[in-house]
Amino acid sequence: MITRRSLLASVGAAAGMTQIDPRFFISSAYAQTAEPIIFLSAENITGNWDPTAHTTLSQKNIEAYVMGYLSRTPMRPDNPDETNMELAESITLLDGFRLEIKLRPGVKFHDGEPFAAKDVKATFEYGALPDRPAQWYPGPTDSFEVTTPDDMTVIVDTSKGGYAASLFIFLASYLPMMSAKDIAAGPNGPLSQRLNGTGPFRFVEQRGNDTVLEAYDGYFMGAPKVSGVTYSFVGDATTRILSMLNGQASIIERLEPEQIETLTGKPNITLSKMVSVENKYLWFRCSKPPFDNPLLRKAACHAIDREIIYEVLGESGSPSKNFISPIKFGYIDLENYPEYDPEECQRLLAEAGYPNGEGLPELEYITSVGFYPKTKEYGEVITALLQEQGFPVTLNVMEVAAWNENLYDREGGGPGHMIDCGWSTGSPEPDLVLRTHFHSSSKRITGLVDPDIDALLDKERSASTLEERRRIIQEELTPMLADRAPALSLFTSVLVHAMRSDLQGLFLYPDGAIDASKAAFV
Amino acid sequence: MFIVNFLIRRLAQGVVIIFLVSFLIFTLLRVIPGDPVRLMAGGMAPDHVIDQIAEDMGLRDPIPVQFVRYMGGVLQGDLGQSFIRPASGAAVGGASFDDNTRSERAEVFDLIADTAPFTLQLALLAMAFALIVALPVGIYGGLRPGKWPDRLALYMGSLFISLPNFWLGIVLALVLSVNLGWLPAIGYQGFAYTILPAIVLAVEIAPFLIRSLTVSVAQNMRENYISVAAIRGIGHRRIVMAHALKNASVPLLNLLGVQFSMLLGGVLVVEFIFDYPGLGLLTINAVLQRDFPLIQGIAIVTSAAFVVINIIVDLAATTIDPRLEY
Repeated sequence: MITRRSLLASVGAAAGMTQIDPRFFISSAYAQTAEPIIFLSAENITGNWDPTAHTTLSQKNIEAYVMGYLSRTPMRPDNPDETNMELAESITLLDGFRLEIKLRPGVKFHDGEPFAAKDVKATFEYGALPDRPAQWYPGPTDSFEVTTPDDMTVIVDTSKGGYAASLFIFLASYLPMMSAKDIAAGPNGPLSQRLNGTGPFRFVEQRGNDTVLEAYDGYFMGAPKVSGVTYSFVGDATTRILSMLNGQASIIERLEPEQIETLTGKPNITLSKMVSVENKYLWFRCSKPPFDNPLLRKAACHAIDREIIYEVLGESGSPSKNFISPIKFGYIDLENYPEYDPEECQRLLAEAGYPNGEGLPELEYITSVGFYPKTKEYGEVITALLQEQGFPVTLNVMEVAAWNENLYDREGGGPGHMIDCGWSTGSPEPDLVLRTHFHSSSKRITGLVDPDIDALLDKERSASTLEERRRIIQEELTPMLADRAPALSLFTSVLVHAMRSDLQGLFLYPDGAIDASKAAFV
Repeated sequence: MFIVNFLIRRLAQGVVIIFLVSFLIFTLLRVIPGDPVRLMAGGMAPDHVIDQIAEDMGLRDPIPVQFVRYMGGVLQGDLGQSFIRPASGAAVGGASFDDNTRSERAEVFDLIADTAPFTLQLALLAMAFALIVALPVGIYGGLRPGKWPDRLALYMGSLFISLPNFWLGIVLALVLSVNLGWLPAIGYQGFAYTILPAIVLAVEIAPFLIRSLTVSVAQNMRENYISVAAIRGIGHRRIVMAHALKNASVPLLNLLGVQFSMLLGGVLVVEFIFDYPGLGLLTINAVLQRDFPLIQGIAIVTSAAFVVINIIVDLAATTIDPRLEY
C-alpha cells in the first residue's frame, strides 16, 4: 500500500538520483585514450635491454623508437636495396676490405653524451664479441678492425677476416648505435638496465608489461609531434582487437585473416599490409635420422602443396620461392625450388630406401599456436599431405613458451623431426638468415653440417663487390639450398597492422619496426 | 575464550591446508612436462648448460628435499624470486643461455603484492554487483514460492549460469565499450576499468547467491517462529527483515565466503580477456612461462586467503546464530 510517507520518500530518492553524476563511476573509453601512441604487441620482451643480448622481435621494435641507426632501409618490393642515411652522412666502400663511414655531426644521446666515431667503434667491437647472444656480425671482433681517423669518421677493415667490408653496409641499417660510455661499463652496467639511444623517443621506464617512452625534444631530425609511445605486451589477439575497436589502442600488430575482415571498412581504423622480411619455414632436424638424409628432406618438400597453405593464410601470407624474403638483397624466384609433385616425392622416397614411406620411424612435427597466424591450421594441412605420401607424421601443437623451449638445435638434434618457425631481421642483409641457419658454425634450428653449403656461404661473404655477391647468392648458394633442402620456406609473411585513422605520419618497416618521429593525431 | 580456542583450532587447520596445497602444487609442477631451466636459459642453450644451471639451482634434487628447502624460505617470509620476470614485473621471454647480464629477477612477494590489490578490488566490486542483483531477486523469490518472483529467480539464475564468462566478456566489451563507448575494457588506467570485468564475474556468481537466498528465505518463512511472530502482532516487514532474513543470511554468508575465495582464484579467464593486471593474469603468464616460484607463491597466498576468509565467515555466522559450532 502506498502511504504518504513512502510516496514522499520515493520522490525524494528520485530527486536525489538526478543529482548523481554517473561520470564519476563511468568514463568513456574514448575519453581515457591517452595522448601517446599506444602500441599493443603480440610478443613479450626479454629481461635485458642490451641490444646485443637478444633476438626478440618485439624488443627490436622498441629499440627502433629509441635507438639511432647509421642508415635505414625501407625495404619495399619495388626497390629492396634502397638505403637512407641517418646517423651516417655517407657509407663508402674504399676497396673490397675497407668501408668508410662519415658521421652526422651534432647528434646527442638521450643522456646528453655527443654521438661520435668512438661510439660506432665501441658498438661494432662489443656487438661482435663471441659471447654476445645476438650474433648479427659477419665475423667476431678479432676478424675486423675499426679505426677512427677523426671524431666523425670510421673505417672498418675486414682484411683480417678475409670477408668483404660490404657486409657492413646492410648491417648498418640494422644495428642500433650504443654509447661508448655505456659499453665501457660492461654488460652488467647500464646497458642492460635501460635503453640509451639517439632516436626520436627516450626510454622512461618499464612499468609491468608497458614500456614507457617519451618524445625526445633534442632528436636530430626534429622533435616528435606525439608525446610518447607506450609499448604494451597483450598476449591475447581478441583483447588486442577489442582495444583497437574501442579506441584504447593506437596500433595493433599480427592480425589474423578473419580479424582483417572484421576491421576492414571500419571508418576509424586503417589497415596496413606489407610483404615482410619474415619467411615462415618448415625446418628439418638435419643432424639426426631420418632427415639427415637430403633425399628424404626433398621428398617431404615435394609432398607439400603450398597453394593450399596460401588459401588457409589468406592475406597473411605471400607466395615466394626462396629461403629469403623478396625484399632481401639477393632474392630471386628459384627455378629448382621444390614444388608439389607426388611422383617425384615417391621416387625420392624409394631412392632413400623408404618406398611409400615404409620403414620410416614415427615423425613429430612441432608447431606453435598464439603468435603466428594460422600455424595450427596449415600445420594440419602439411601433416595430412605428408601422411598422404606415406610419412608417418604426428602434429604437436604447443603454446608459445613450450614451442620456444623446443625450437633450437641441441646435441644429438633438436626435439621432434620438423618444426615450424619464422625468421625476421630488419635488414636487406641475406646472411642474417642464410648464414645463421645454414652454416655449420651456427646450426641454430636445423643443426645442418654441410661442407658444400659452408663453402658457398663463405664464398658469397667474401665477394669483393655487391654485384658479385648477388650473383653467387642467386646462381650458386640458394639453388644449392633448394637442392639440399635443410628447410622448406613455405611463404613470406604479410605484416598486417591496424591503426587509428587519425594517427598519421607513421612509417612502417617490413620487420614491424615503426618510425613515429613524424606521426601525429590529426 | 571461545573465540581464542576457535581461532587457534581453525588457524592450525589452515596451516595444514596451506601446507598440503603447497606440497601438491610443488609436486605437480615438477612432474608435468616443461623444463623451466630451458625457458630461463633460452632455447639455444646446450643440454649440459641446462643441467648445470638446474643443478646449481637445486632443481635436480629429490622433490621432498626441494620442498623442505622451499618451505624453509616461506616460513621466513621469503617466497623466492621469479625464474623469468625482471624486477620491473614485465612478462618476458627467454634470453640466451650465456647471457649473465639480465636485470635482477623480481621477488615473488613483490609481484603478488603489486597485483593482488587489483584482483581484490575486482572481486569486491563483482561481489557488490552480484549482491545488488541477487538480494532483491532472491529475497522476493523466497517470499513468493511457486509464484512469478520465484520463477524469475530460477530463470535468471539458469540464464546467468549458462553464459560462458569468456563469451560474455567479449560480448560486453563489444557492446558497452566498442559500440556504445560507455566503459573502457582493456588494461587498467583507473577504477572504470574494473567495471566490465566485475560485471562478468558478477553474472558468474549471482546464480548461486540467488538460489541460496530463494531457498533459505522460503524455508525460514515456513518455520513456526514466523507464524508465531504474526500472531504476536509483529508487522510483515519486520518479520521478514528482522527474523526471516537474519536466519536466512547464515547460509548466504557461508556461500559468500566460498564464492569470494573462488573469485580470487577464478579470475584467470576474465583478467586475461580484459588484460586486467591482477593475480589472474599474473598466474596465466607464470604458468605459460613455467615460472615455478611465482606459481607456488600465488598458490600459497590464494589458499591462505581462502582459509582466512572462511574463518571470518564462520566467526560472523557464529555471531549471528550462537547455536552454530565450528
